[in-house]
Amino acid sequence: MEQRNLFDVEGEILIIYLPEELDHHTVGTIRENTDGLFTCKKIRDVIFDYRNTTFMDSSGIGLVMGRYREVRYLKGDIYIVGVNDTIARILEISGLYRVAKKRKDIAEALCDIEKKYEKGSHYETF
Amino acid sequence: MKHFNNQMVVEFDSISKNESFARVVVAAFVSRLNPTLEEIADIKTAVSEAVTNSIIHGYENGDGRIRIETHIVEDTVTVIVTDYGIGITDVEKAMEPMYTSKPELERSGMGFAFMEAFMDELFVESEVGEGTTVTMRKVIKQESSEADKVVDEENK
Repeated sequence: MEQRNLFDVEGEILIIYLPEELDHHTVGTIRENTDGLFTCKKIRDVIFDYRNTTFMDSSGIGLVMGRYREVRYLKGDIYIVGVNDTIARILEISGLYRVAKKRKDIAEALCDIEKKYEKGSHYETF
Repeated sequence: MKHFNNQMVVEFDSISKNESFARVVVAAFVSRLNPTLEEIADIKTAVSEAVTNSIIHGYENGDGRIRIETHIVEDTVTVIVTDYGIGITDVEKAMEPMYTSKPELERSGMGFAFMEAFMDELFVESEVGEGTTVTMRKVIKQESSEADKVVDEENK
């Protein structure tokens, strides 16, 4: 099986690879491992990769909402990528897409973030 | 379509590791009704919500036992999740979407809303100091499986 990190940091972007089952128990592990990053590093955007996730309950919603509260002060965004049909239904019912952007995969989210800041710096120098 | 009645009871310690056990055991029991993948996902999410509530709120992450009773009567599944914890002072308030008594734990406040959305019926009974019982019901709109059709055909 592919061995992966729980998360990656690329500049000011945090990518969290979500587990197969996202519940109160596994959300606890993710928070224990990533919460510290927000205090010691400048994290502006967060990508949640759901590629391997087949189960989710409302604990997963709490996790995303919590990170949204962290990044919105820096005008950052939350990206949700790689969702299957089951997860998509839960995300839609929860109304989470009001605060998070849905993208196909990590690459698409990264391009989006790149473009966003290109535009931002352009405006600043104009 | 073949109907049958069936019941099962499990009781386990109130620890977060058991959340996955709880939803998988109920899903396995219900699978005899030939539910769709969507119906199974709905039941698993609802069970997970109820059990998580018992762990976090009922026992406030302390020691306790959680009991799950599941009944199948014809095409209807009833799941009864009981804890013997602190109980809920105001059930109506607890059931409001987005309300959580523990915002510091980053709870979304959507537990009961999810149980309501994914099951057909939801009843919550609670007694302060005695515990909480959540009863959820769902009709499985089963289509007869290929195997059932063969059996039905043979029985003609």
